[in-house]
Amino acid sequence: MDKASHLSVVIDLSPTQWHLCSQSSNPYPLTLQSFLSQLLAFFNSHIACKDENTLAVFGAFPGKSVLLYSSTTIAAEEHSVNADANTYRPFKVLDSTIMGSIRNQLEALELLEAEAPIGLVGAITKSLCYINRLTIPSSSTTPAEEKQAPLDPRILIFSVSPDQSPSYIPIMNSIFSAQKLKVTIDVCKIYGPDSVFLQQAAHLTGGSYLHLNRPDAVLQYLTMSFLPPPGIRQLLSVPTQDKIDFRAACFCHKKIVDIGFVCSVCLSIFCNPVPVCSTCR
Amino acid sequence: MPPRRIGDDFDADSDSDVSILDDLEDVGRARGKGKGKAIDRRRKDKGKGKAKEQPYAWEASYTRSWDTVQEDEAGSLQGAVQDLIARGRRRRLLAPATAIRRTIIRHLILVLDLSSAMMDRDMRPTRFDLMLQYAREFIVEWFDQNPLGQIGIVGMRSGLGERIGEMTGNPQEVLKAISERHKLEPNGEPSLQNAIEMARSTMSHLPTHSSREITVIFGSLTTCDPGNIHDTLESCLKDRIRISVVALAAEMKICRDLCDKTGGQFGVALNEGHFKDLLFELIPPPAARALARTGSGAPANPAADLMMMGFPTRLPDTSPPALCVCHSQLKSEGFLCPRCRAKVCDVPTDCDICGLMIVSSPHLARSYHHLFPVKAYQAVMALVDTPSPAPGCHGCAQLFEKMASTMTNTTEGMSPLGRYRCPDCHNDFCTDCDVFVHDVVHCCPGCGK
Ligand SMILES: [Zn+2]
Ligand SMILES: [Zn+2]
Ligand SMILES: [Zn+2]
Ligand SMILES: [Zn+2]
Ligand SMILES: [Zn+2]
Ligand SMILES: [Zn+2]
Repeated sequence: MDKASHLSVVIDLSPTQWHLCSQSSNPYPLTLQSFLSQLLAFFNSHIACKDENTLAVFGAFPGKSVLLYSSTTIAAEEHSVNADANTYRPFKVLDSTIMGSIRNQLEALELLEAEAPIGLVGAITKSLCYINRLTIPSSSTTPAEEKQAPLDPRILIFSVSPDQSPSYIPIMNSIFSAQKLKVTIDVCKIYGPDSVFLQQAAHLTGGSYLHLNRPDAVLQYLTMSFLPPPGIRQLLSVPTQDKIDFRAACFCHKKIVDIGFVCSVCLSIFCNPVPVCSTCR
Repeated sequence: MPPRRIGDDFDADSDSDVSILDDLEDVGRARGKGKGKAIDRRRKDKGKGKAKEQPYAWEASYTRSWDTVQEDEAGSLQGAVQDLIARGRRRRLLAPATAIRRTIIRHLILVLDLSSAMMDRDMRPTRFDLMLQYAREFIVEWFDQNPLGQIGIVGMRSGLGERIGEMTGNPQEVLKAISERHKLEPNGEPSLQNAIEMARSTMSHLPTHSSREITVIFGSLTTCDPGNIHDTLESCLKDRIRISVVALAAEMKICRDLCDKTGGQFGVALNEGHFKDLLFELIPPPAARALARTGSGAPANPAADLMMMGFPTRLPDTSPPALCVCHSQLKSEGFLCPRCRAKVCDVPTDCDICGLMIVSSPHLARSYHHLFPVKAYQAVMALVDTPSPAPGCHGCAQLFEKMASTMTNTTEGMSPLGRYRCPDCHNDFCTDCDVFVHDVVHCCPGCGK
């Protein structure tokens, strides 16, 4: 770990899915509370690995996405946190900022809003914008304050919700921009069925997709697989995915097909031959 | 139509007195500096508009690398950078907002001029070296935006057309074909007709759903043809081949005709940067209606026809090894044809056994952003009518400037506050994110779609 590394984290904070995940009928239930406390330990170890390491945390809430914490803009708020003799100060700032903003966001949710589709796409694109600003020399900063761009930027997505078929195209677009920025996307699937979109995201950007068998031991998975930056992971044996589904969903019924009919003009996929393409007609 | 005043246009100075003949263009020229994107006619004027600002490469007595980027009074490059950004913004605003039909499966023959005229040094280091360099960048970018397309390369040398690279969908193979400079050493006269006939015969068997395009980089002012090139033009029209020419020297009537009649684009490069601009304008998939407009016998709106495609399953690296049908090699990883279960090494490809076109869904998805472009953001000029403006960029959370900047307000289309607002979700974005969202991500972080 010679160079500083940047980590952007996207947390899926769908209240419904987290409620289902914490049900005691699951073999290994995990509550949001205990997940967050394990997650904070992981964040602290990332910061502790190297002083220059940077971190940005994005929350995907129903219908919106919010930047919860960013190590570059937090300096101003640092004074508002009470000092604690037993805690390393940056840890304390990080923990209280993240917990505070998650609490505020969840409390602000209306009952109706809680069922809205999760803002995962927004959170991923925001994290890409954030990394884009870190990696390009900004037009608004003078050369003097320009820092060395962090090496190996990566995005870690914690997912509990199933795939939403309308977000297929935006997620694909995000994957391609991540490839352009040389960003690795890691996916940690905590609860629910495997996400075909996020599997492809991890595969296409060279990251790893991990479906947790024991969600209650999430910290163990995190430190073993996701703490080392991608450059070091080649030396470790990080779990890889077995089979990747490259099949596509048809535009007409969102059904997974292995042989489809593709419009020669716009490449829309249909499961049956149609006389007129409904996308580009 | 008003009579044309000779001499009021830069054209009169250039070698192209032929263009005075086609008075139809006066309509377009009256609009002044056309920056339109989709309309061919307006695009021609773009070159003319620029001509008033920048000298031709051969008129300059020195390399102007310091001209293009100028420091302002404070010694910073900010002004120049912002000018570039502003130009990009204006181009986006002028682009049509609705999704237009574009040909996505493209077949392109890149015709390179390898005649002795390419050794001219009016572009640094030579026209030839610059052409090779830009051609490489062009190929990489082209495959990035047209993942299902194929490129072949033909050279014009010693009065003959030379097949340099076979038509293929693999960017590495295309790049390899032009990687060896000494094999492409310029010599003799070029022959447009021979090269175009060769390109045409290469593409004659292609199915109707794909586009057939020829892009010529032409440095010479002569062409040495065995027959009547207008016959070639007629047969290209019949085959619905679109020809675009980037000329490095000056306008030639026949080049202009080839492009105009087939619906392609014609441009004369003024200098190194303009050469690259002209070439890279040919990268985005052309709108399909341009093709319908020119095809004389073709229906105005060709019905979209469907292609049958197979989406394979990728075998893991740990699966038991088996022979692939393409190279007969023993391998673990590979893709299974969904129809006949044959194992192929790489996609996209045609199955060697049953002929089904095998693609993976990411290959298709790479083209979808052309269909659903992000709406252009509007520059926020003042905050008076915004009740509670967001303190930071909605994308990257960078804080906005509180005060309007005095330096940028001269540039048209730029926000003095550095804020650009999405017309759908009404969130504000900074300049960097504006460029990034529209050029790279193709998805607004606020709308999430
Ligand atoms: Zn369907
Ligand atoms: Zn279509
Ligand atoms: Zn093979
Ligand atoms: Zn097959
Ligand atoms: Zn921004
Ligand atoms: Zn928006």
